[in-house]
Amino acid sequence: MLNHDCPRPAGKHVQLMATCLCDAFYDDAARATVEILEYLGCAVEFPEGQTCCGQPAFNGGDWAASRKVVRHTVKTFAGDAPVVVPSGSCAAMMFHGAILEFEKEPDLDQVKALGHRTWELGDFIVNGLGVKTWPGRYDAKIAFHRSCHSRGTDSGAAVTGLLGSIAGLTVVPFGEGEQCCGFGGTFSVAFPHVSTSMGELKLDHIRAVQPDLLVSLDMSCMMHLGGLAEKEGRPIKTQHFAQVLRDSLKNTGLI
Amino acid sequence: MKFQQIDQFAAGLRKETQAAVYDGSKKGYDARTKTLFDHFEDPNRLRRVAGEIKQHVVENLDTYLPQVEAKLKANGVTVHWAATAEAANQAVLAIMRARGAKKMVKAKTMVSEETELGHFLEKEGIECVETDLGEFIIQIDGDHPSHIVKPIIHKNRREIATSFEKHGLGAYNDDPQTITRRARAHLRNKYLEADVALTGANFISAESGRLVLVTNEGNSRFCLAATKCHIAMVGIEKILPCDRDFALLLNLLARSGTGQQLTVYTEFITGPKSAAQPDGPEEMHVVFVDNGRTDVLASDCRDILRCIRCGACLNVCPVYRQASGHAYRSVYPGPVGAVLSPLLAGKKFPELADLPKASSLCGACNEVCPVNIPIPDLLLRLRNKGKLEKSEAAAAATPPMGGWAVMATQPAAWKFAMMGGKIIDHLPVKLVPVPVFKAWTGSRTLPGWKGGEFRKWMKSRPPAAPNVSRGGPSGPALPEKTP
Amino acid sequence: MNTDREAILSRVRSALAPLPQRAQRPDWEAELVHMRTMRGDVDAWTLFRERLKLVNGLPLEGAAALVDWLDQNGWRHGYCDPELWPRLQAAFPATFTVEAVFDRTRVDDYQFGITRAAGAVAETGSLILTDASTSRRLAALTPWVHIAVVSRGQIHLDLQHAMTALADDPNIVFCTGPSKTADVEGILIEGVHGPGQQVALLLE
Repeated sequence: MLNHDCPRPAGKHVQLMATCLCDAFYDDAARATVEILEYLGCAVEFPEGQTCCGQPAFNGGDWAASRKVVRHTVKTFAGDAPVVVPSGSCAAMMFHGAILEFEKEPDLDQVKALGHRTWELGDFIVNGLGVKTWPGRYDAKIAFHRSCHSRGTDSGAAVTGLLGSIAGLTVVPFGEGEQCCGFGGTFSVAFPHVSTSMGELKLDHIRAVQPDLLVSLDMSCMMHLGGLAEKEGRPIKTQHFAQVLRDSLKNTGLI
Repeated sequence: MKFQQIDQFAAGLRKETQAAVYDGSKKGYDARTKTLFDHFEDPNRLRRVAGEIKQHVVENLDTYLPQVEAKLKANGVTVHWAATAEAANQAVLAIMRARGAKKMVKAKTMVSEETELGHFLEKEGIECVETDLGEFIIQIDGDHPSHIVKPIIHKNRREIATSFEKHGLGAYNDDPQTITRRARAHLRNKYLEADVALTGANFISAESGRLVLVTNEGNSRFCLAATKCHIAMVGIEKILPCDRDFALLLNLLARSGTGQQLTVYTEFITGPKSAAQPDGPEEMHVVFVDNGRTDVLASDCRDILRCIRCGACLNVCPVYRQASGHAYRSVYPGPVGAVLSPLLAGKKFPELADLPKASSLCGACNEVCPVNIPIPDLLLRLRNKGKLEKSEAAAAATPPMGGWAVMATQPAAWKFAMMGGKIIDHLPVKLVPVPVFKAWTGSRTLPGWKGGEFRKWMKSRPPAAPNVSRGGPSGPALPEKTP
Repeated sequence: MNTDREAILSRVRSALAPLPQRAQRPDWEAELVHMRTMRGDVDAWTLFRERLKLVNGLPLEGAAALVDWLDQNGWRHGYCDPELWPRLQAAFPATFTVEAVFDRTRVDDYQFGITRAAGAVAETGSLILTDASTSRRLAALTPWVHIAVVSRGQIHLDLQHAMTALADDPNIVFCTGPSKTADVEGILIEGVHGPGQQVALLLE
C-alpha cells in the first residue's frame, strides 16, 4: 500500500524536513540526521519556513485543515532536490497521504511532485545514496521497532541492514514485532486505554530481550513507548537510528 | 472532551474476555502466517491478483449481476432481489408461506445477521434454528457474534456449559467435547424435522452459476441433505468471474481465516438435487441482497466490497484484540467492520462514524487481507466524511485542528510557539489547559520541551562549502567494518 | 420483487457510471497457486494418502482392511450403496449388518455409511462427492463413519485441476477430513454435525 511506484531523484543536495516532533522535542535526532548526511557528502538545506507535514489533521479527518498545511509545505520545499525526512510516517504522509487527500484538488500535481521527491532517511541512505554498510563502532544490544509506516516500504530493511552492519552492535528481535506500538497520532489521546494497552504489550516484549537501547525510524513511536515506560517508573532509553549512526562515527573519531 | 465509545468499551471489558479474544485472534494470525508462507513462494502476489479479480467484479457488477441471474435461472434456481433488509426477510417468509413451512435450519451467514432474519421469522411463528455450533450458542444465549468467523471467540467453556444447562441440554459440563456432542445430538433432530434450509454463499460463479459454501462442521451439508427447500441469501458483491478463479480464492480463504489449507467441506451448488438423488432440496432460491451495498458501491470506499469475510483482519488488528467485536456496535466488527458498518448504515452513518477512528492506521489489516483491500486509506476517507458530516461520535475526544492549521501555515507564529512552549516544562501538568496534553499525560510523560533548539543550531552553522552541490564529491571513503 | 430488481440494478449502474474506466480482469497463470510442498516424485494415490492423513482422514486399501478397522472399533452396523455392495460383500462377516436401504427415521442406527466418491484431490487430501455418485446424501454425512470409495484414476493432482474439471452436477462436495469445530476456546473437536471419521477406501 505504501510502496513507491515511481523512481525518486537522489543526489547530494538535499532538503531536510526535520518534522514537527523533532522541532518540539527531539532536536538531537534532527541534528544527527544533518551530521550523518553531511558525513556522506550531502549539502543539507533547511527551508526555514517549514512547520509540519500535515499528518495530524489528515489522520484526524480534518482534511480541509490538513490541506492548508500541505500547501504551505509544498511552497516551503520548492525546487526539485530530494527531500529527506527522519520519519517514516511524515515521509508516507508526503508520498501517500497527501496525494490521497488532494485526489479531487486542482493542485494535485504539485503535491504529487513533492511526494515523488520525498525519502525516509534510511531508505535514502541505502537506496538513494547506495550506502549499505555503516562505519565506526557502537557497542550495544539494540531492539529495533519497525514502525508501522515503514510497512510495505524499503525503510525497515534499509535501517536494520545499516544497524546490523555496525561493529559492536547487535540487533535483537522481540516477540509480536508486527504489532503496532499504539501511538497512531491523535489515536493516542482519543483512545488512551487501547493505546496504552498496546504500548504496554510492546514494552513487555521489548523488556523480555533486555536491550540496552530501543531504536526506531520514527520518534513518535519512541515518544509513546518512552513516555509510557517513564511514567511506570521503569524508563527505557530510546533513540532515533540517526543518533546511533552519528554516535557510531563519533565513537571512532570519524566525525 | 467526551471519550471515544470504543475506548470506553475496551476499558470496561472483563479481563477474561479480553484474554480470550486476544489469544483466539493471535492463534488465527499465527496459523495464517505459517500456512501461507510454508505453502507459497509469494503469498503476497496471490493476494494482489485476488484483489484485482474482486475489484474487477465490484466495478463491473452492472454486467455480472444480470449474467449470474440468467445462469441461475437456467440451472433451475428461482432468483429474488431484495433492496432492503425488510425486503429480504419478506422474500424468505413468502417462500416459506408458499410451502406451508414452519421450521427452518440455517447455516452461518452474516447477511442474515444484517437483516435479523432469525428474530423476524420467530415473530412470524416460524422456528429458525442456528446450526453452526458457535451461532447456536449465540442463539440460545440471546447474544451477538463478536467475530465473523469465530462467533463465540469471547466466550469460555464455563459460560457455555452454564447456558447449556439453562436451556435443558444437560447438567453442567464444560468439557469442550461433551459440549460439542450434546449440540450434535440436539441438532440432528432439528435438521431432520425442518422444512427449509437457509444458507449464505461465499462465492457465486458468473460462468456456471455455482454457489460455493465453505464450512467445517457439516452443518450446511446436513441442512441441504435433510430438507426439501434451499434458500440462499447472497450479498450482491459475492460474484467471481469464472470457476477457475475458485482455485485462487479457495487457496486464500481458509488459510487467511484459520490457517487451514481448505475447510473440511467446500460445497459447489448449482441447483436443486438431481432427479435420481433421494435426499436434498427439490426447490432452490437465491435472494440477492442489497441492504446498503449500492451505497458502498457509489462511495469512494467501494474497494471494501472485495471482502470475502475471512476474518484475517480481525485476527491481526491490535485494536480488535483489545476491544473485542461487540465494541463495534454492529454486525461487522474489526477493520472490515470499521469501513463497512458505517457505510451500510446509510443515512445513519454519523452514528457509527467513530468506528473508522478506532485505529492507529498501522496497516496490518491490509497486509493480511487476501484481496488486498487498502483498509487504512478507506478509514481515512471515512474520517474525512465523518468530519464533513459533523458526526458527534467521530468528534469525541478529537482535538480541533483549526488553530493548529493557522499556526502551521504561518512560520513566524509557529516559531514563536516553539519558543513559548517551554512553559509546559514548568507548569504542573494539571494546569496545562490543552485537553490533548491532559489525555496524553494520564499514562505517559512528555519529553522535555526543545522547541527552537534545532533551528538555532542549524542557523549557527557555517554555510555549506561552495563546491558541494548536486552530484558533488562523494564524501570520505567509508572504511571496512572493524571487527 | 421486480421493482426491487430494477431498483438495485439501476442503483448499481448509477454508482458505477462516474468511473472513468473499470478495473481490468487480470490473467493468472496456474503456477501462481503452485504449492511449494507439492511432490512430483510420487503417484497421486500416495500423495493423496499423505495429505488425507494430515487432516486426520484415514486412507485404506481393499475391503479386508476396511472390515478389520471397522471390527476393531466395534462398528458393525451400517449402510452401503447397493451398487457398491457386490464388490465388498465377500469381505464382510456375518457379524456385520450392512443395510442397502438408508432409513432417515433411524439415522442413529447406522454407525457407518459407504458411498462412492466421484473423485479426489491429492494436494489437499479431499474426497469429491456428487449427487450422481452418492446414493444418499444423508448416508454420506450422518453416520459417525463415512467411507468414500475411490479409484486411482479419479484422483486430481491439485485444486487448480479439480476446479477446471468440476462435474456437471448440482451438488459437489469436497470433503477434507472429518467434520470439526474450534468454536469452544479454539480447541479442535472432531465429529460435529458431519462424520467424526472420514475414510477413503481405495478399490480398483
